[in-house]
Amino acid sequence: MTSASTPSLPTTEPTPFVKRGVRSAVLRNVARYRPVYVAYGVLGLMVILYASLDPSVLNVNELNLQVSSGLALILVATGQTIVLLIGGIDLSVGGVISISTCLAATKFGAFGDQILWSVLIVLLGAGAGLANGALIAYVRLNAFVVTLASWSIFGGIALLILPTQGGSIPESYTSALTSVYGTIAVPVFVVVILAILWVWFRSTRMGVRMKAVGSSSQSAYLSGVSIARTTLLAYSLSGMFAALAGLFLVTQTSGGDPLIGNQYVLPSIAAAVIGGSSLAGGRADALGTIAGALIITLLGSVVFTLALPTYWQPVATGLLLVLAATLGALVQKRGEGVKL
Amino acid sequence: MTDRSVESGLLHARGITKRYGGVVALRDAQFSAGEGEVHALLGENGAGKSTFIKILTGATQPDEGTILLGGDEFASLRPSLASERGIASVFQELSLIPDFTGAENIWFQREPLTPLRMLSTKRLRRSAEVLLGELEFPPIPLDRPVRQLSIAQRQLIEIAKAVGTKPKILILDEATSALAPAEAELVMGMARRLASEGVLCIFISHRLGEVRAVADRLTIFRNGETVGRYVTTEVSDDEVINKIIGRRMDLLYPPRQVRERGEVLLRCTDLSGGLRLKSASLELHRGEILGIGGLQGQGQLELFLRLFGVIRGAGEIEVGGRKVKIRSPRTALSAGIGCALIPEDRQNDGLLLSKSVKENLALPRLREVTRLGLVRPALERILANRAVEDLSIAIEDTNQMVNTLSGGNQQKVVIGKFLYPEIEILLCYDPTRGVDVGAKHDIFSLLQDQASAGRAVLYFSTDVEELIHVPDRVAVMAGGQVTAMLEREDLTDQAVVKAALAVTEEAVA
Repeated sequence: MTSASTPSLPTTEPTPFVKRGVRSAVLRNVARYRPVYVAYGVLGLMVILYASLDPSVLNVNELNLQVSSGLALILVATGQTIVLLIGGIDLSVGGVISISTCLAATKFGAFGDQILWSVLIVLLGAGAGLANGALIAYVRLNAFVVTLASWSIFGGIALLILPTQGGSIPESYTSALTSVYGTIAVPVFVVVILAILWVWFRSTRMGVRMKAVGSSSQSAYLSGVSIARTTLLAYSLSGMFAALAGLFLVTQTSGGDPLIGNQYVLPSIAAAVIGGSSLAGGRADALGTIAGALIITLLGSVVFTLALPTYWQPVATGLLLVLAATLGALVQKRGEGVKL
Repeated sequence: MTDRSVESGLLHARGITKRYGGVVALRDAQFSAGEGEVHALLGENGAGKSTFIKILTGATQPDEGTILLGGDEFASLRPSLASERGIASVFQELSLIPDFTGAENIWFQREPLTPLRMLSTKRLRRSAEVLLGELEFPPIPLDRPVRQLSIAQRQLIEIAKAVGTKPKILILDEATSALAPAEAELVMGMARRLASEGVLCIFISHRLGEVRAVADRLTIFRNGETVGRYVTTEVSDDEVINKIIGRRMDLLYPPRQVRERGEVLLRCTDLSGGLRLKSASLELHRGEILGIGGLQGQGQLELFLRLFGVIRGAGEIEVGGRKVKIRSPRTALSAGIGCALIPEDRQNDGLLLSKSVKENLALPRLREVTRLGLVRPALERILANRAVEDLSIAIEDTNQMVNTLSGGNQQKVVIGKFLYPEIEILLCYDPTRGVDVGAKHDIFSLLQDQASAGRAVLYFSTDVEELIHVPDRVAVMAGGQVTAMLEREDLTDQAVVKAALAVTEEAVA
């Protein structure tokens, strides 16, 4: 697509096709991002539930704690959300996370090493995503199959790097990523920055193009969108976010684990869906995903507080997922005219 | 109409030939049109119109021939070059992004950006409002995803999207086929206005009435060749139809067959459902075709869906004097006497595109072709062959995939699915949408035959001309109710349009 004229700002007051005013602007925002609002509503209910079980948790330390334990999931699920937005799916994030932790646990040394290897790991993650994207965009393979295969491949590579749990993470690295400024820990800042970046990204041309591709790739193509470029970027970002998740995860485990990523594949999809994303593409929002990931994290704490066996956490997550999908379907149906 | 436009010659396509493998889509086709005119391009489906449009928009490249655009000669165009040269097309298959709002769709890829390289939703909406206002289109909710809008509203947005690029050449490829007469008028008015501002509008429509109303000149394609170029006022409908189909066809509409109106087969009382159907009542007799008219979106679609059990709601349905509850298409089909729905969007809703004709025809009747729990291909074949013969579907054999058939033949397969003995009521919702003249004739004959054979047909069309020629009576709907019933002797286009408009005005007042 070459340069085309952009519409100029209207000079005359147009006929209003939609209501004006602050109130209707707010209502419009709620209507537009309804699934996101719903996700934060559910998160609020979770917080109330958690606090009613143990009122002592209502403080900044608990916030730091919960966000820290949820950050890896938030990061990988954000990447997953971008892929869901274009109508794809990325199972390979499991392998990328594992590789990322194994490399960190074996290569990190002095401060300079840490920076260098962190950058390399992120690039590696993006490259892995790029490979996925290329197979999907150019060879036109099914995203599920491609990323299922690369999950297996990356998982194997992680085992080659570090056959069992182990390695070590320098204390300086861990403390840098978990330190507290004022009363707020670094992970909370990371989430806030992530949210701001997302709000920016979703309104850029690329963000809009991704939504278009996921909503109808045919129509997007007819409007001059390069499906291939959009796909490559989405999967690269997903790989990058998975690598970042791994880089943060090692501060929690203080070592590498060639299998740890596998625990994040399905929860990353669950977090996105609980946050209001649709697997059908075109409807996905990382703000909702952040809420979804925090909901899943909080569920773990609730299960723990109730002194239930930890196996109840996946059960509760599953139930919540069904609930979210049901809610999503209901929200979607409202206002939708009859179609044949 | 003078010859001024010919001399100014904005667009000349000469000797365009395009082959797809062994099939020749265009053979030495010619097309000339000038700025400031509305130029109709006519022809049956498969005559090469779509290929020609694809060549103009750069979606495909010709094998031979040249395209003269404003004095410059091109052997072929690319999409970017075509849009640089001011060629914009309203696509027949909608090109909108379903999850985008109308405003986002109109300016997609051309959005104004804030300093942070972000889109401004508000500015998008304002500009879209201005544009729709300039086009004199009716208010369309611009802050809702277009997937929530009606097909007609989406079509109008699609048109606005193309016009928003300020094209020099605007191609309206069946842009009115999804629109009700009042909305089609708006689009035609817009085309005339753009033409008066110097734009060349290439207007493609299967509705001759529209072509007559809007076009200055017309070019007719048949089998990939240009077979006629006329000034609209100097040619008769018969001549045009003959050129289009290339054989003598006495009438587009088969004569109404003489038959008795039988007993009431379907009686609905105070039916409601969906957002738009509110307390509609009507009686459908054996041996009649009852047309459903009215402005777009007055509950017609919902009436059909309600009767076929796709949506549920209040009200009573009696079939053959017996009250029935229709909860799903399955109960509709088996409600003693069943209903069959011929969907508007046959490709998505009526057919399994990647399955064979045989499998499609047998789908509603799987029980009949099953023995010991297994589908017997031989039985399927017998059943399918009978349907193919009855409906004169042009295929080589019933194993052919449905997606290789022309639109008209696909539609016949959709109808054929439901022509088994237990089905006495046929619901046909816009069965001729986007179907060429020849296939239209066949479908109309088919409906006449079904009525004469004792079936009852409920028939909706967006084309007023079809409504006055095909049905025996027409029920006009407004505000979700049947507000007028026109008997055969009252059926004129004025009467139908008047009935549709009058009641709406009353309802508004």
